Amino acid sequence: MPNCSTDRPWDTHGNVGIVDPQDFHSPTPFKFENGQQIPELNVRYETYGTLNPERNNAILICHALSGDHHCAGYHKSAQKPGWWDNMIGAGKPIDTEKFYVISSNCLGGCQGTTGPSSINPETGKPFNRTFPRLTIRDMVRAQKLLLDHLNISHLHAAVGGSMGGMQVMQWMTDFPDIPERVLILASTARQSTQAIAFNEVGRSAIHQDPNWNKGDYDAENGPDTGLAIARMMAHITYLSDQGLERKFGRDRRQESKSLTEVEFEVESYLRHQGKSFVNRFDANTYLHFTKALDIFDLYGDENDLTQAFKNVQSRVLAVGFTSDWLYSPEENRDIIRALLRIGKKASYAEMEAELGHDSFLLESQAYFELVRAFLNGPGKEVPSNG
Amino acid sequence: MDENRKEVAKRRTDQMVINEGIRKGDKVLDLGCGRGSLLELLIREKKVQGLGVDLDPAKIIHCVRKGIPVYQGDVDEALAMFEDQSFDRVILSRTVEHLNEPGRTIEEALRVGRRATVGFINHGFWINRLNYVLKGSRTVNDVYPLPWYESAPVSFFSLANFEEFCSKKNILIRQRACLDANWRNECNFFPNLFSGYVICDISK
Repeated sequence: MPNCSTDRPWDTHGNVGIVDPQDFHSPTPFKFENGQQIPELNVRYETYGTLNPERNNAILICHALSGDHHCAGYHKSAQKPGWWDNMIGAGKPIDTEKFYVISSNCLGGCQGTTGPSSINPETGKPFNRTFPRLTIRDMVRAQKLLLDHLNISHLHAAVGGSMGGMQVMQWMTDFPDIPERVLILASTARQSTQAIAFNEVGRSAIHQDPNWNKGDYDAENGPDTGLAIARMMAHITYLSDQGLERKFGRDRRQESKSLTEVEFEVESYLRHQGKSFVNRFDANTYLHFTKALDIFDLYGDENDLTQAFKNVQSRVLAVGFTSDWLYSPEENRDIIRALLRIGKKASYAEMEAELGHDSFLLESQAYFELVRAFLNGPGKEVPSNG
Repeated sequence: MDENRKEVAKRRTDQMVINEGIRKGDKVLDLGCGRGSLLELLIREKKVQGLGVDLDPAKIIHCVRKGIPVYQGDVDEALAMFEDQSFDRVILSRTVEHLNEPGRTIEEALRVGRRATVGFINHGFWINRLNYVLKGSRTVNDVYPLPWYESAPVSFFSLANFEEFCSKKNILIRQRACLDANWRNECNFFPNLFSGYVICDISK
């Protein structure tokens, strides 16, 4: 939690302060895994800390479905910090005194990196329904172009939770010599049937919205209702039974007089989540991201995760959270089991947490100590004498 | 959080004995690895490819900090993930006494590893016997500091019990190191009576 006791929270100890997003513009066509391309690519990103002269202290942060490049510090005149401000900063587990932290908005996103709502320079209109089908691998290839642009060929670590965890796994399989450490939080090597099922309900809510128009809607007049419902439902999957119980119980906001009025606190909370999401998110991006999650499957046609991992060189740590039922501890264990079976340097840790999938975003002493231990521990080399 | 100093001294001999039996570059699985101090030694001295398994998240953090690959989970669940003979050596150092089905786990360790090292406290040790005979009471010492009602379940067994188990299951005891009461020096005089700690190198 940000320290709210001051009017200038960006000045509090450990905070990275006021940050400005930057843009990397690649004027050449970007080709997607499915063969389609977009004429040019923009990647919006932020960095915190300082790149050392050896250029080997960079940590890449990969965001989850609803995240973006702004993960620490404050934008000018903003009241809320980036989404992982508790984790990233001076003296924090991802320590900006030591590391150069890079975080970019994913390809297909809606916060500055080229996505369905970006203007296609060839037509002068938003891509909307013409935006190519997207995969986790495409996201990672866009991040690779950004690293090339920043002249960084070695990562101290790649770190990601949930959809970000999928990206860092793609990193270690596609570019085995780049990340020295890979930290996977609350993720999976293959989207489960249940997770696909939930995503499909969300997508259906968007498809059924009269404003959707098969994806060709105006920015001002999008399928907001559908997107809000998708978000409300998805948000439940990020929490847990006991977490909701503890936060809201059966507390009532008011005695409702009609069937449509908010009655329970939890209803009010979810409606707020839906409404505020619509203000910052694009429905087409939501459709693309959830599809990219659903088709992600490192087990491949042979149903063998060890095949995907055979070239991995990074030291890997996966962390499962006990109450996470979206990407369960078992799914995180499976990642590490596959790596260990083929003799890779991998570890699995499990955190006692009550708040479901989103627990990876919350501060806890053991969790933060673990992240710090991993990032400061040995890299690819085995521990040496002394 | 600091381990008892006497306990650390005892562990040292135990670790040295285990270290002697390990070859350079061996693949080693340490079940119940704690903070990873044995694996740290083996990685340093023998350049082993090590993996630790432990249930305690605080201990997992120690291993991660040292760069020792570690899997947080149950010993039996961890063994189940590996194919036959995936390791040169599986170590059960003061782990067996805490298992639900020690016999099954030892056999499983010998499926996954070509050899296993089992280190255990000999409850046939004369002081332990005397405590029962004279006081009618379980031993409470620096190894078992907690009274029975505060400690985790422990199966007490003796060297004789272990040897009987091995012969019944056709497990070969290739080497045996019996340590004295302080776990410092070897003690081969009526070890089931005079040895406090035993380390057996076993295979099928």
